[in-house]
Amino acid sequence: MVDIDLSQPPFSLLDESSKARVVKGVDLGYFDNQEIILEAGQSGEFVFIIHKGEVAELDNTMPGDQGRIGHYSAGDLFGAISIINGKSRYRFKAEQETLCYLLPKMLFEQLCQDSTAFAEFFRQSLANKTRLLIEQRSEGGMTMAGFMLARIADCMRPPLILGETATIAQAAAALDDSHADSALIQVAERFGMITKTDLLNALVLDERDKSSPVVDIAHFTLISAQPEDYLFQALVSMTRHKVSRVVVLENEQPSGVVELTDVLSYFSSRSYMVSLEVEQADDLEALAAASARMPELVQALMAQGVKLEFVMDLLAALNGRIVNKAFGFIVAPEHQGQSCLLVMGSEGRGEQILKTDQDNALILADGADWPECVSDMQQLTETLLKLGYPPCPGNIMVSNPEWVKSESGWRDTISHWIAKRDGASLMNLAIMLDAHAVAGDVTLLERLRLHLFEQCSRDELLLSYFARAALSFSTPLTLFGTLKKPEHGIDIKKGGIFPIVHGVRTLALEKRILPTSTLARLKALVEEGRLEKSFADDLGEALSLFSELRLKQQLTRLDGKQNSQEPNRVVVQTLSSLERDLLREALGIVKSFKQRLSYRFHLEY
Amino acid sequence: MLRALRRVTDRRRQAEGHYGWLFNPYTGDEVVSIDCETTGLDTKTAELVSVAAVRIKAGRVLTSDSLDLRLQCPESLNGDSIKIHGLRGIDLDGGETPVDALEKLLDFIGNRPLLGWCIDYDLAVLNRHLRPHFGFDLPNACLDMLHLYRRKVRRTNPDLEPDLRFETVAKALGVPVMGRHTALGDAVTTALMYVRLGKDVG
Repeated sequence: MVDIDLSQPPFSLLDESSKARVVKGVDLGYFDNQEIILEAGQSGEFVFIIHKGEVAELDNTMPGDQGRIGHYSAGDLFGAISIINGKSRYRFKAEQETLCYLLPKMLFEQLCQDSTAFAEFFRQSLANKTRLLIEQRSEGGMTMAGFMLARIADCMRPPLILGETATIAQAAAALDDSHADSALIQVAERFGMITKTDLLNALVLDERDKSSPVVDIAHFTLISAQPEDYLFQALVSMTRHKVSRVVVLENEQPSGVVELTDVLSYFSSRSYMVSLEVEQADDLEALAAASARMPELVQALMAQGVKLEFVMDLLAALNGRIVNKAFGFIVAPEHQGQSCLLVMGSEGRGEQILKTDQDNALILADGADWPECVSDMQQLTETLLKLGYPPCPGNIMVSNPEWVKSESGWRDTISHWIAKRDGASLMNLAIMLDAHAVAGDVTLLERLRLHLFEQCSRDELLLSYFARAALSFSTPLTLFGTLKKPEHGIDIKKGGIFPIVHGVRTLALEKRILPTSTLARLKALVEEGRLEKSFADDLGEALSLFSELRLKQQLTRLDGKQNSQEPNRVVVQTLSSLERDLLREALGIVKSFKQRLSYRFHLEY
Repeated sequence: MLRALRRVTDRRRQAEGHYGWLFNPYTGDEVVSIDCETTGLDTKTAELVSVAAVRIKAGRVLTSDSLDLRLQCPESLNGDSIKIHGLRGIDLDGGETPVDALEKLLDFIGNRPLLGWCIDYDLAVLNRHLRPHFGFDLPNACLDMLHLYRRKVRRTNPDLEPDLRFETVAKALGVPVMGRHTALGDAVTTALMYVRLGKDVG
């Protein structure tokens, strides 16, 4: 009579007989709206599993909305901590009419005794719970399905066709030019194939002449496939015939070649392919095509359960390469050495996932002679726009002369910002602090950053002003209570990501830490002894969790499933109960980090 | 009237017997929700297939301590009722004899008030089996969920003619229907309706 979802943690950690005991051992309880289910200080007699309804967790020592600790809805479990600790720290109150399963204390304690995994679940730190979530997700095998359904047409590359008269030397040159591994030789109506290995064998082992025709060494028995065939069929025929490429025939004409490496990298989420495409791109169109593939890459990597940290690293590197290439196309080589292109904001920290706004700036070496700089930069901004980087709403772009300055000009600007200390200046400082050089002379930025540290890191008053921004958005834990309708959500960027990023940034400024990514800064702060390791780990995990939730939101928007106006809003009710649990804990960590900050930088008032 | 008379005679007859205590007035705060699955809808011929009972105490439905009995396959078991409760002859293999089952049921419910959905029907079937073996009818006070609900709707919305199907009532009260047409499922759902209704009144 009990339909608890036992496939979700923690119950999925139990064996079958224990699950049966849970099903047999629970009672049903019904609580009216606003009824207090468990009073603070009361000893816990049950673990409550919500079947229907919503429950709020309240700290009644705090006034009004600040006392809201958590929010639970269908599928969530509460009261376990009260049993472990002996009594409840907080008050649990029904926010709707609520139907709960009640798991008696005795049974819960027995289950904990019998299954260490089950008991551990309630003592775990956030990091461990995240691991559970990732394990669960990667079991889904989404990419596997994606791979099974991919067609050959998605993966094939255009064929390189040589005439009957081509020589070995010509074939080698053609292969090298087009970065290909194999070519087709057309003899009347028939096609043969040569590969680099064939050429090598012909030259070295058979000692043929460079100018001998390539037709003699070509293979005319081709393994072929249709473009609408499934990709795995190609893989099967490659394995069966022990070859590493198949020719795609359309109406008896070759329309493409599928190589084994293509299939395998398609399977390994095509990260290799995208970076290869970026490197091979020799004009803007090719670069734009490669750049358009990135969201797809993110999706595939996420589905495979790759840790967000590494996905972000990979993407930061790829985005850096794209911007670098675009810079290289537009700016003449002699000017490249005289300047340094910076990406800033989340891109500078290497934390954007999908393409974010262009936040960039340019440092010119003192005495650089570059009269057409303004028009070049205008063109760079337009190019990046074409590559899919939307313009920055704050106009922090190289097309804005404010963000193109000589090195000494930048020094003056920074000193000016530091002296002025108003909102806009502090924001500019924060943006500058995250700058990361992607093209040109990197030492220009390094010198500028040292200057910035020199001016700021001992200025307690400035640090205190700087840190205050981290507290400027109230903690979304209080917002939980107003979630009456599913279309309300919490702003994950203001409530979660920003306080962590900015707080860590402030500490990095104080300790003169050079890396720009938040995770690297956290690591450096631990080494400096500024933060203890467990807390830094939890902060990092919390940040990854927020980014991941935000990414999910953005990806669904890409799919067009949702036309939400606000990409940063996460609707709590759509999350699974484990994710909700994680979100709650992560927000709790943000809260305690904010407390530390306000203590360190004297922000209490 | 007839029922009251019968109870008085039953009580006198059982006063010294094993089940005399069932006739004492109940002083606790528990209610027992019961439900039976039978082979038909005619109380004169229907045989019991399964019986379930679950206690309600202080607003909680004690599903952990419930009674769910399958009986031996009765002769009148046929396709029509199997379609409803889904218990085939083979599912009833190893079931209890009616006498054992009723004995367990009596021990479980004691003298607590009974609750059911159209409880008169269940009572009629149970009593028809009880009387030959034990010599009395169930003496417990009875609450019919259907009547309770109708009364409540009439009181709040006198003009409304309530839809009194089991599922619709459950929906109107915001109670999940658990295992419809299994004895225990219906008993638990009815119990939840009762708890829910009780909260509304109080």
